[in-house]
Amino acid sequence: MAAVLLIALDAANFTLALLLVTLGLVIIFGLMNVINMAHGELFLLGAYTVVLVERRGGSFWVALLLAPLALAVAGLLIEELVIRHVYRRFIDTILATWGLSISLKQAVIVVFGPTAQQVENPLPQTVTILTTLYPGYRLFIMAVAVLLALGTFFLFYRTRLGLVARAVIANRPMAASLGLNTRRMDRMTFAFGAALAGLAGAVMAPLMSVDPQMGVGFLIPAFLSILVGGTGSLLGTVLGTTLIASAGTVVASVWTQIAAQLVVFGLAIVVIRLFPRGLTGGRRG
Amino acid sequence: MLVISGLTAGYEDAGIVLEGIDLEVGAGESVALMGRNGMGKTTLLRAIMGHVRPTAGRVTFDGRDLTGRPPFVVSNAGIAYVPQGREIFTDFTVEENLLLGLLGKKGGAGRVPDAIYRRFPILAERRGQRAGTMSGGEQQQLAIARAIISRPRLLLLDEPAEGVQPSLVTAIAATVSAISRDEGMSVLLVEQNLDLVLTLTTRCLFVENGRIVDQSESTRLRDDATLLDRYLSV
Repeated sequence: MAAVLLIALDAANFTLALLLVTLGLVIIFGLMNVINMAHGELFLLGAYTVVLVERRGGSFWVALLLAPLALAVAGLLIEELVIRHVYRRFIDTILATWGLSISLKQAVIVVFGPTAQQVENPLPQTVTILTTLYPGYRLFIMAVAVLLALGTFFLFYRTRLGLVARAVIANRPMAASLGLNTRRMDRMTFAFGAALAGLAGAVMAPLMSVDPQMGVGFLIPAFLSILVGGTGSLLGTVLGTTLIASAGTVVASVWTQIAAQLVVFGLAIVVIRLFPRGLTGGRRG
Repeated sequence: MLVISGLTAGYEDAGIVLEGIDLEVGAGESVALMGRNGMGKTTLLRAIMGHVRPTAGRVTFDGRDLTGRPPFVVSNAGIAYVPQGREIFTDFTVEENLLLGLLGKKGGAGRVPDAIYRRFPILAERRGQRAGTMSGGEQQQLAIARAIISRPRLLLLDEPAEGVQPSLVTAIAATVSAISRDEGMSVLLVEQNLDLVLTLTTRCLFVENGRIVDQSESTRLRDDATLLDRYLSV
């Protein structure tokens, strides 16, 4: 019983952590259709913001607030310098953002060195859930993921700003004809996605080894979650992350990590074969 | 009010489409553009809106130069556009579509005014419905309502009768005509449907090969078919 509960908690934890990391990508890839190969590096920069702030003597909680702001600014710069030149040019987008990904990673190595940095766990307490002890910080991550997912949903589907953003994405020329400043919305939407990635990096930093490769591990499951769940849908992403992360966690706990990877990829292939537009996109034909 | 002189524009893959267009639309005036397909009527509207960048010539509106300005600037200058195929946001509700006609404008917060629902009662009934599920005629009314909700001074209408049942075409024409009269709104209409041209406009320009080649009072077209034969028959 306790073992099952632990697996369930771990699955929920990994699902929500993956959701947290995927949220920024949902906006940039799922909604804006930009295949952002540098998304892992935005996540990485968020984590390194924490390292930088703590080195300067700042607290983790300050860093947690600063990371999304720093990444929003970085997102504005990236959008202006790179992304706006490659909208709707898929191959060019992949090349440009891949190059950006390499540059950012190398820049981090130049500044912080190639070795892993440690970020201390700001909530070392454990919490008793029924019969199981569970780390407090993991619960904090789960709470942040749920709040951010709800907040993002609210912003995009329940506010006028979100309506405008979705209108620009749905039909750019018509939105412009109605007087909506589509360039400004592109900038803001991309910066918001980058800020979410940065916040995710900062939140995850205490649980991970903060090194220049840390973004890569999450990038593929994040893309898979969106493809499995269906692009352009937040609910789809929640479904996708749940499927990818729970399958991975459960298989890894009863078998091996490698088997888990195989099962996850196999599952993704089957789902995408049956539902090419994702679980919320309706069946083929 | 709208003055276009020597406007030349085209597409990278299709070459020059407009070969020096000159036209004027006065305040409160309604003008039709007629001509065969591929003669540049739609491109002209797109060039006015800023979707096609002119290579020569000028577009001015109330003396303000709008040549080559982006669409959101043109829209905020008081020119509204109902494109061919309507281009409503099919996944959004009727009310959200209407709201989007306001949100881009200065001081454009607020809510959808009741006046617009009085002009188009069907939209009031459907305000919570997804726009893509409505009929062609209802979608056309939505596209027009969304364009005029910000009280523009010039409405560009591209083939509003297309895909709309004939009985509704007359009703839509009457509504736009009434708005034009009540609010002093000018209309520049691209249309092949003679009834609509007769109801809505006082003057008709004929476009051929990217130029304005002839013009006539709209009422004259009712009895005299020579111009229509010359410029519209295939």
